[in-house]
Amino acid sequence: MDVFGGLVYGLGVTLVPANLFACFVGVFVGTLIGVLPGIGPVATMSLLLPATYAMSPTASIILMAGVYYGAMYGGSTTSILVNIPGEAASVVTCLDGYQMARQGRAGPALGIAAIGSFIAGTLSVVGIMLLAPPLTKAALRFGPPEIFGLLLLGFTMVTYLTAGSKLKAVAMALLGMLLGTIGLDPITASPRFTYGTLTLADGLGLVPIIMGLFGISEVLLNIEKGVEQEVFDTRIKGLLPTREDWKRSAGPIARGSVLGFFLGILPGIGAIIPTFISYALERRLSKHPERFGTGMIEGVAAPEAANNAATGGSMIPLLTLGIAPNVVMAVLLSAFLIHGVQPGPLLIREHPEIFWGVIASMYVGNAMLLVLNLPLIGLWVQLLRVPYGILFPLILMFCVIGVYSESGNVWDIVVMLAFGGLGYLMRKFEYEPAPMVLAFVLGRMAEESIRQSLLMSHGSFEILLTRPLTTVFLALALAVMVVPLVLPPVKRALRTVPLEKTED
Amino acid sequence: MRRRELAAASVLLAFALFAITQARGLRFGTVAAPGPGFFPLCLALALSLVGIGLVVGAWRAAPADAPAPSVRPRRVAIAGTLASLLVYALVLEWLGFLLATFALLVFFFRVLQRQRWLVAVAGSLATSLVSYFVFKTWLGVNLPGGLLQF
Repeated sequence: MDVFGGLVYGLGVTLVPANLFACFVGVFVGTLIGVLPGIGPVATMSLLLPATYAMSPTASIILMAGVYYGAMYGGSTTSILVNIPGEAASVVTCLDGYQMARQGRAGPALGIAAIGSFIAGTLSVVGIMLLAPPLTKAALRFGPPEIFGLLLLGFTMVTYLTAGSKLKAVAMALLGMLLGTIGLDPITASPRFTYGTLTLADGLGLVPIIMGLFGISEVLLNIEKGVEQEVFDTRIKGLLPTREDWKRSAGPIARGSVLGFFLGILPGIGAIIPTFISYALERRLSKHPERFGTGMIEGVAAPEAANNAATGGSMIPLLTLGIAPNVVMAVLLSAFLIHGVQPGPLLIREHPEIFWGVIASMYVGNAMLLVLNLPLIGLWVQLLRVPYGILFPLILMFCVIGVYSESGNVWDIVVMLAFGGLGYLMRKFEYEPAPMVLAFVLGRMAEESIRQSLLMSHGSFEILLTRPLTTVFLALALAVMVVPLVLPPVKRALRTVPLEKTED
Repeated sequence: MRRRELAAASVLLAFALFAITQARGLRFGTVAAPGPGFFPLCLALALSLVGIGLVVGAWRAAPADAPAPSVRPRRVAIAGTLASLLVYALVLEWLGFLLATFALLVFFFRVLQRQRWLVAVAGSLATSLVSYFVFKTWLGVNLPGGLLQF
């Protein structure tokens, strides 16, 4: 199937009423939680996992993906109107977006954010369509050593790109992998660290861990500091940007899209880093860099385009290699696995309806988001007025129901609470949860691939150095570690990127 | 600050050492044919090395004059939230979703949020009923009926 044929086929899949409805629910819920502070796409997607059991695999992946890119749209609304980023990926949007709102230009700011996101989202879908099939072909030749090399590169990037202490990030990644070994050994199926309990025999669940680390701990932090919201009280009129706005935004949107897409493909980058880089790039290219931060529309258009394009880019490693490049994709990966579908190089051949259906649904979803966001902005703003005192018991209740309904095991609620407490302490002591969760998910794959590699080579680690692709991955991983030490400018540049906090 | 960092790093190191003792109980196999204990033991050893690094780093860090926290952390509220959820998990199957959730929400609204009794009770009743029907009837989630089995 060529790319065009695939897309037409995918559109046919998406336009089936059940899938269309799933897409709508996904982007709607995504926008909703994007607007609400204190709950992000990671927690929401894991919350929805159990609800998708009854759906077809295609519909559930469409829904999950919709939540993710929907949240990117919704997150910008709060950044602009309240100066509180609904999502970490919208932090930069606050800088100029809120200033625009204060100058009475909230409308064009919201408008360009939505339209820029739409254009970037669409461009990134085109990118996936063109890049995924050839990558899939290459990935079919991967053996265990290549996979191990790639995973090692991923872990290195995730830990080296997190904010704060690298050593702490390494510790969290190791801890995550260690927790991932609880349960049955993937090769011999003998129990490990289960202490005779049934709850641990299947290993710790991803959903309780994520809900604890990203849902419960977030609520605890908010209870501690008390969330105050003050909605910027102006009437929003004229969402359509002027011709002048368009002229100024075209370049930033195009550059933000391309940058976001390619950065998004890389493991560990996620949707947050590209927003900072594209903002910095626009400021450098601008004739008036000093006016950034005072309400420049370029400063809204570029990062908003970048975060949406990155969302699309990060789907590529998942769809072609079956490897989750960030925490959000890890949840999506488990959605695939719940339905017994293994994403990876065989996906496009064995489940073309999922592959092309999901891609086409992103076109449709982006169009829906435009409709949801522009006329309904007033509604989303009203939501911001719900006091946190009412919101937080509801979020906690949803977390409990979500975890319980996934397994029907009350001990999973206890696991969630334990990770909630742990996550709270981790944030207090500046240990990032993102490397831990990602390592927890990918650890099993890493273990399998290294053990199989060693079996293949009869115990010689040389196998990692004699296969060209593996060597390239390992060399890149080494470069990620060494280059910032050797080249001070790179180090400084990395430090100015305030980084992948948690992707929520 | 330094003491806090040191405490956190020590806990991590202690966990890593504990993990080593546990991983040693599993069959290591050989490098040519790694057993179930191979990967966990390597991880636990690596984690304890990193843990030692963090402890040393925290020890050597100058005792910076920590800025006094501007807001007193609401420790009671946080402990109360976690404890109430733990109790909730333990009684959920016996009391059933409706009763347990109602009690939990009343606790949140009345005790932690200081809402008026009427608001707390009415709000909790409405929320638990609505969520029960949405999740159980509409989404088909299996919630325990408990004492109010119907």
